[in-house]
Amino acid sequence: MKSIKRCQGIISLFLVFFVAGMIALVIKIQREASFYMMHSENYELGMVYDRNGDVLFDGSGNEEYEDNYFIDVGNLIGDDKGQMTNTLVAQNLEKLNNYSFSAGLVREGGKAAIYTTLDHEANRAVYNAFGNQDGCAVAYNYKTGEILVCTSLPSLDVTKGYENISDFRSGTLISKTLYGTVPGSTQKVSTVIAALEIMGADTLFSKSFSCSGTYVNKSGDNIDCHNSYGHGTQNIQQAVENSCNPFFAQLIEDDDLPLSQVKKVYEKLGYAVNDDEEEYFDIDGIKCQKASTTLNDPYEFKTQWGCIGQGDTLVSPIQLMMWQSAIANESGEMTMPHLIDHTTDVYGKIKDNAKTQFSDRLFSSDTAETVKQILLTNGENHYTNLITGYKLGVKSGTAQVNEGNTENSLLVGFVDDPDLPVAFCILIEDKNNTSLKTENIAQIMLDALSQN
Amino acid sequence: MSGNKCSYIFSAIFVLLAHAGMLLNVFLNGNYSDLSDVIVLAGAVIGLDLVYFIIMPFFKQSTFTIDFLLLLVLNMSVIFQSCFGGVHLSLKHYITCITALIACRAGYLLCRNHKWLQMQKKYFYIGIGVLMLVIVTLTGSRSMWIYLGPITLQPSEFIKPLFVLACATSITEQQKKHKILCFHVVYENFALMGITAAICLLQWWCRDLGSLPTFIGIYACGFLLRICYPKAKFSKKKLIGAGIILLAVAVICMKFAPAYVQERLHADIWNDINGNGYQQAQALIGIANGGWFGKGPGYGFLHNVFAHENDIVFATISEEWGLLYALMMVLAILIIVMLPLINPPRSYFHSTMAAGVCAAFTVQMALNIFGSCNMIPFTGVTIPFISSGGSSLMTSGFMTGMLVASQSPVFKPPKPHKKLSSFNLRRQKA
Repeated sequence: MKSIKRCQGIISLFLVFFVAGMIALVIKIQREASFYMMHSENYELGMVYDRNGDVLFDGSGNEEYEDNYFIDVGNLIGDDKGQMTNTLVAQNLEKLNNYSFSAGLVREGGKAAIYTTLDHEANRAVYNAFGNQDGCAVAYNYKTGEILVCTSLPSLDVTKGYENISDFRSGTLISKTLYGTVPGSTQKVSTVIAALEIMGADTLFSKSFSCSGTYVNKSGDNIDCHNSYGHGTQNIQQAVENSCNPFFAQLIEDDDLPLSQVKKVYEKLGYAVNDDEEEYFDIDGIKCQKASTTLNDPYEFKTQWGCIGQGDTLVSPIQLMMWQSAIANESGEMTMPHLIDHTTDVYGKIKDNAKTQFSDRLFSSDTAETVKQILLTNGENHYTNLITGYKLGVKSGTAQVNEGNTENSLLVGFVDDPDLPVAFCILIEDKNNTSLKTENIAQIMLDALSQN
Repeated sequence: MSGNKCSYIFSAIFVLLAHAGMLLNVFLNGNYSDLSDVIVLAGAVIGLDLVYFIIMPFFKQSTFTIDFLLLLVLNMSVIFQSCFGGVHLSLKHYITCITALIACRAGYLLCRNHKWLQMQKKYFYIGIGVLMLVIVTLTGSRSMWIYLGPITLQPSEFIKPLFVLACATSITEQQKKHKILCFHVVYENFALMGITAAICLLQWWCRDLGSLPTFIGIYACGFLLRICYPKAKFSKKKLIGAGIILLAVAVICMKFAPAYVQERLHADIWNDINGNGYQQAQALIGIANGGWFGKGPGYGFLHNVFAHENDIVFATISEEWGLLYALMMVLAILIIVMLPLINPPRSYFHSTMAAGVCAAFTVQMALNIFGSCNMIPFTGVTIPFISSGGSSLMTSGFMTGMLVASQSPVFKPPKPHKKLSSFNLRRQKA
């Protein structure tokens, strides 16, 4: 009898494995069915809304909208046509599909939707403020991580299709906020953070370097300042406010700032240092390019030029904005941005509620406090009349692109106000070709956000 | 009829009702243009049910549970297969199901007397050898089929029941240990190991590696029971040793598997949706499309996909009938496999045989269902009773007969050989 029981034991073993596999299969199908359906030709997309319930994308295609109604979010929200892959819709088709394993595909009346954190009205105001100028702007709540404004020009109205795709201007199909751009002097914020982390505030503030308009570095190369007459002898606060290149070149050469340690701080900030491979981080499925720079030798022009924010250095406007959150919060931790507030399934049931998340500590809270004060002083001294009504911490930048033939204008910063905790980054391309200033965009953006 | 008449009638009614319910679903929700198609299908299914109910009592069995379940599952598969892409009786599948029922009877009659089977042991080995020879000479190195006009045969399928019987009949040999150097060995174990190795090589040669796990499952099952015989407990050392060897073999096989196997092992079906991942991706889309309750018999799209009726049949059924129905179908087969647990076989030989059959059925189901749903590499083996294919259905039928035999065995000693008995008589007189 024991022998027979042993046989039964073996049969049971096979059955247990098989039944466990079947349970795993049913769970897998339940969880992934929507994903499978998105690979078929049968799907029915729902809507994407802004934070106030305004439509940003209509998957049904049944409603009529004003001309260019979606143009300010065209290359961020995107569509399902496959022309733009790094967009909210393209990366979240599964969440938008009016399908569930129980209900099947619901052609009419499905309530699958994505509710974003964007403020369409403010976004449109910022888009319109650019006029014919190319560039981008992004702003988010540095306490919660909600992206409020994210627009990039040129853009497109996805309802018009892609028949004239060959006529689209370069950059129409991508949101420039997601991709690396030369940061100009906004990069100096990172260099100040590195200096504070390595040598401390007292040592850094005790250092002063002179600027005569051009600095010949230890390798014999010229580091030019935007002020050809020079800034004279300055400390770090003055250098930041003057955005003085020779000061920062001398700071990089300083013995108290070993490049190996600068490299470590940069890597902690999220830079890919001396790495040719492009790296990305994720915002609700959308890929955002990570910062990158070259740091080889503290006396070398390329390294100094990188730390000043020109040359090889590339940072996406979103990442520039995220660093501002770590400063504004005085924590040294970035508030991770998100675009999706919540989603609803085919029955309208709320799911995937967004939670505020923070990065690891990038730098100490002491450093954050000091940098915050430097930027606030800069804002108070130079931007009070340019952007009125807000207590701002800011840093501007001019980035040389196209081998120095074109200059882009950047402005990064934050509002130091618990009622309007907004960090932002604004980029205007080819700034010499327009009278539009980053501060004009900032004013319109902050006004629109404070009113909503 | 030695079973309880009342339970027999109720079981028959249950089977009839189950099929009638399915046919009603076909009538109400099915994709057909002519009602006669449904009537023909209903007539064929119910007719086969009734004929089988009449014939079965002529066999002396202590229980008919497996027979009822077999009929239930086979006619379910007739209905499923007849609805793929539109309702129309699949005559070929219907005939092969009848053949499977006959094979089941044959399996029962041949395997119920283990003493007689024990005497026929050499024929199992010869049978396996002949079938292997047939494969080597008639199928070719890249194929596993023999084409006989409209009929195609897969000889490797027929090796399965013979292999189970070879494993089961080797149990009694475990007491005849021979000492070679310092090892106590059983010669037959070497023979079985040799046959397993030969089968593995043959499957490799035929590029039919999908069936390998089934044979290995049967062998592992028999091996576990042999190494523990006659003691009634497992030796941990032996079990751990066997496990390690099996794991090592699996790792080596994975490492040195041919390129086409490696492709399947590491395939990302969604990135290769129109290439190697096509069948699995379509199968999963089909299951998602069907949901719990299906699109309706004949309303799926998977019937356009290659091997929808065998390799990805679970998904095809799920799409048209719903995942719930497909799971019920699997449950029905599982109950067949589970019966030796509820109604234990009467001897160690029969329980070993039942364990081998259960191992074969479970492994095959797992390979088909989990493979087609991208949980394990896709092998393209069949689900017993459900997938189309004559060789597979006949073999499954025969092996079910072996299970029936384990439930209703005969313990009569075999009749002595005529010549041998007269010789013994003369010796006694002398």
